[in-house]
Amino acid sequence: MSAASFVSATVELVGGLLLAPLLPGLVQHWKARLQGRRGPSPLQPYRELRRLWGKSAVDPAGSGIVYRWAPAVVASSLAAAVLLVPVAGRASGLGIGRDMLVLAGLLALARFAVTAASWDVANGFSLMGASRDLTIAVSTEATLALALVVGALVSGTTSLTGMVAGTAGTGVWSNPALALGAAAFALVVVAETGRQPIDNPDTHLELTMIHEGPLLEYAGRDLAFLQWAAAVRHWVVLVLAAQIFLPHTRSVWGQLAVLPFALVVLCAALALMETLSAKMRILLAPRLLALGGVAALLGVASWLVQLT
Amino acid sequence: MTAAFLLAAVVLLGTGSVASAAARTFRAGLAVQAAGAALVGAAGFWALAAGTTAGSAFSSSFTPHFGIDGLTAFFLGMLGLVAAPTLAFASRYLDADLRGRLTACLTGAFVLTLAEVLCARDPLTFLAGWELMTLLPAALILIGRSDDAARHSVFLYIAVTHLAGAGTWIAILLAAHAGVLDGTHVLARGSGLQIAIALAALAGMGTKAGVMPLHSWLPRAHPIAPAPVSALMSGVMIKVAIYGLVRVLVDWLGVLPLWFGVLVLALGALSAVGGVVYALFQHDLKRLLAFHSIENVGIIVLGLGACLLLRARGADMWAALALAAALLHTLNHAVFKSLLFLGAGAFERAVGSLELDRLGGLLRRMPWTGGAFLVGSLAIAGVPPLNGFASEWLTLQALVHVPFYGGLGDGLAGAIALAALAATAALAVFCFVKVVGLVLLGPPRRPSVADATEVAVPMRAAVVGLAAVCVLLGVVPGLLIASLARLAPWPVAMQTTLALHLPGTGSLPTIGIAIVLGVLGSAFFLLRGRRVAAPAPTWVCGQLVQPQLAWTSAGFTKPLRLVLEAVLRPQREIAVRTAGGVVQEVSYSGRVPHLIEERLYAPIVRSGLVAARHARRLQTGRLGTYVGYLIALVLVLLAAAKAGVIG
Repeated sequence: MSAASFVSATVELVGGLLLAPLLPGLVQHWKARLQGRRGPSPLQPYRELRRLWGKSAVDPAGSGIVYRWAPAVVASSLAAAVLLVPVAGRASGLGIGRDMLVLAGLLALARFAVTAASWDVANGFSLMGASRDLTIAVSTEATLALALVVGALVSGTTSLTGMVAGTAGTGVWSNPALALGAAAFALVVVAETGRQPIDNPDTHLELTMIHEGPLLEYAGRDLAFLQWAAAVRHWVVLVLAAQIFLPHTRSVWGQLAVLPFALVVLCAALALMETLSAKMRILLAPRLLALGGVAALLGVASWLVQLT
Repeated sequence: MTAAFLLAAVVLLGTGSVASAAARTFRAGLAVQAAGAALVGAAGFWALAAGTTAGSAFSSSFTPHFGIDGLTAFFLGMLGLVAAPTLAFASRYLDADLRGRLTACLTGAFVLTLAEVLCARDPLTFLAGWELMTLLPAALILIGRSDDAARHSVFLYIAVTHLAGAGTWIAILLAAHAGVLDGTHVLARGSGLQIAIALAALAGMGTKAGVMPLHSWLPRAHPIAPAPVSALMSGVMIKVAIYGLVRVLVDWLGVLPLWFGVLVLALGALSAVGGVVYALFQHDLKRLLAFHSIENVGIIVLGLGACLLLRARGADMWAALALAAALLHTLNHAVFKSLLFLGAGAFERAVGSLELDRLGGLLRRMPWTGGAFLVGSLAIAGVPPLNGFASEWLTLQALVHVPFYGGLGDGLAGAIALAALAATAALAVFCFVKVVGLVLLGPPRRPSVADATEVAVPMRAAVVGLAAVCVLLGVVPGLLIASLARLAPWPVAMQTTLALHLPGTGSLPTIGIAIVLGVLGSAFFLLRGRRVAAPAPTWVCGQLVQPQLAWTSAGFTKPLRLVLEAVLRPQREIAVRTAGGVVQEVSYSGRVPHLIEERLYAPIVRSGLVAARHARRLQTGRLGTYVGYLIALVLVLLAAAKAGVIG
């Protein structure tokens, strides 16, 4: 194992498993600043995790094995996603390959677990959130697949490491295929991280929740796992956005060095987006995401035209 | 060796069928049948692994020929793998009364017929088996139920499969006539004959497989059959139609033009998305499962379409992998769909009706069946590390590689099909979260569900065994991939590996994924600790939790119904009765109409009836008119012969 791949594996594990809660923390911090509030420190998610870790879990009356296992399944599939998503173009595999379509499968597993759990407690508000989450996931998954196909076409492989290496440079500015893919992926980022205009992470009204809805009954360490998993979801999609759809250098060391800045910039962009836009009607969200899918399709078409 | 095994299996199946028709040997007969089916499966997989062929090769003659090659062996293996647990399940599911005994006897005959179609090596044997394969389930349904609704459904089933099924006859007879069966003649690419055979096969065998828009018999016939028969129909019978499609399109016809591959992709995408969308809005478990068969056949056909396109582009390696993807999904679907149908049968046995909104909480009451049903649901939803994910991953990869090797048109078709498959996967998750939630989780929604108890041991063993196969095929799909890719009629160099390491992909180390998910999941679960607060009621904003607040199937899918309103055109009626300014009663009814039936079938049926009314005028009942018809016919024929058109 070369030094570069050792360091990138370390960055991947430390960053994905330990530093991920910083990302939503940063977004919340800057959002508050942009809205003229002082806001919590970026470390707030860690404090919340510590507080939840000390509390006892709650098993609502009638809940069963699916409810109890769901947080562990969600956390393990997101942890597996961290092992999947490379931070640099030459990272060696960590036992579960590097394929882009496996990522979609892992996210689907997490979604299945958490939405099935809301049936287990038979909570109407959880189910409302779950059914919306699943509805939006349909167009998210199609758009995610198409956006990644653009990256795969450009780099000639569906391996994520290959895609990081293959899209290196500033192709996103000059190549319409990558630019359209980036636009589509931006929408996927917003949907997967549960940010406005798709979802509002700050809502405390059960009727408007999407991602938060199925979490309603959870407390203690269960909730800590789920919140950590949500933070890891930020890491996974933002790292992909930075290393595939933003301009990045060819050298592995350069990619590793620039990554923190790219992540900070993306968090700032999310905060700005959250400040500028209001949450859209839930039924319109799939259309917005489908628009992203159409953009990615145009990207595929433009790449195929370039070849001929 | 293989042939001897198969002969022994056939004998066992035959004697088992006969024995199960007698009341005293009913259960023993079904057990013997199950043993025979297991032997068929073992012989099939053995022949596939060893690459042996036995018996005669395909011939265009009309004398009966039987034989097996790799493709047949694979489908025989699948047949045995599904039929053995199904027959074991049937030994307790069916009662030993006259209906049960007849059903058991004919089920064995059905399995034998399916094997006969797979082993047939001449047109006549194949077509005879093909027809019998359609008629036996019809008989089995009618033995079980003889009400008007069932008879109407069976009529539709036979009508649709026979009208469109003529395509199978045309395709097979044309192929035999052209001499492509025995490989003496290779059709030119894009020649009229090749296209005619391909289109006829797609229509005829596509109908039998349940490809949209020729699917309308499937959601009618599958749900009303007894559970073991439903499992065999959805699990194997429609797969035999897939066998026919692979045989004709991949094996016999050589390289097909690009547009035909795009057509196959389009039909596959329509079936996949259409099947799962309509499945979401079903309220009966077995009907929902039947619509899911359409979805999964769509996924299989997508793999087949990718195979045709990649082959037309000369990407032989990926064309073979696309074929392997289609075949692997065929096997996976056979396993989890029969598991789900058998599970549904067990639930039906335990609680009566299968109306989704009136079940609930069965995982706790029937832990074995419920647990196996949960595994099957996860597998059909396509989540790792189960088998549905492995084959969907490979199909997605095949579709990604279509634009890799293609031009603008077929490349875009591949990308659109990929998006459709991704959306299908998400919709399948949606649908099976709903099924798991309504059937297995939450509080029981009626008294008989609350008192449900676990079913008999053979029934449990059947579903648990199939669930174990789901896990096994999900963890080591690599064992099969190389042998499946080698079934392609062009040379393919592939090594058998446990995980799926394929060039141009990030690889799918299924074992690694299973271990990571298993170890991390257990670790997280242990970290959760044992500290749990006192049980509290579910939070519904301070209200009391009441049965009336329970969510329904329609409620859970409402957001999607609203999003797809423009396409699905759901109908809803709300009637409010007021008296003296006070609302007395609110009644609501909503349904999602089946658009293909209303827009495509209904006009055809209407115009058919109108045409029949006109044709009836010919039938006057007067002898003179009929003599006139005959004379006119003779004159026309004589004139035609004179003009040299005929004769």
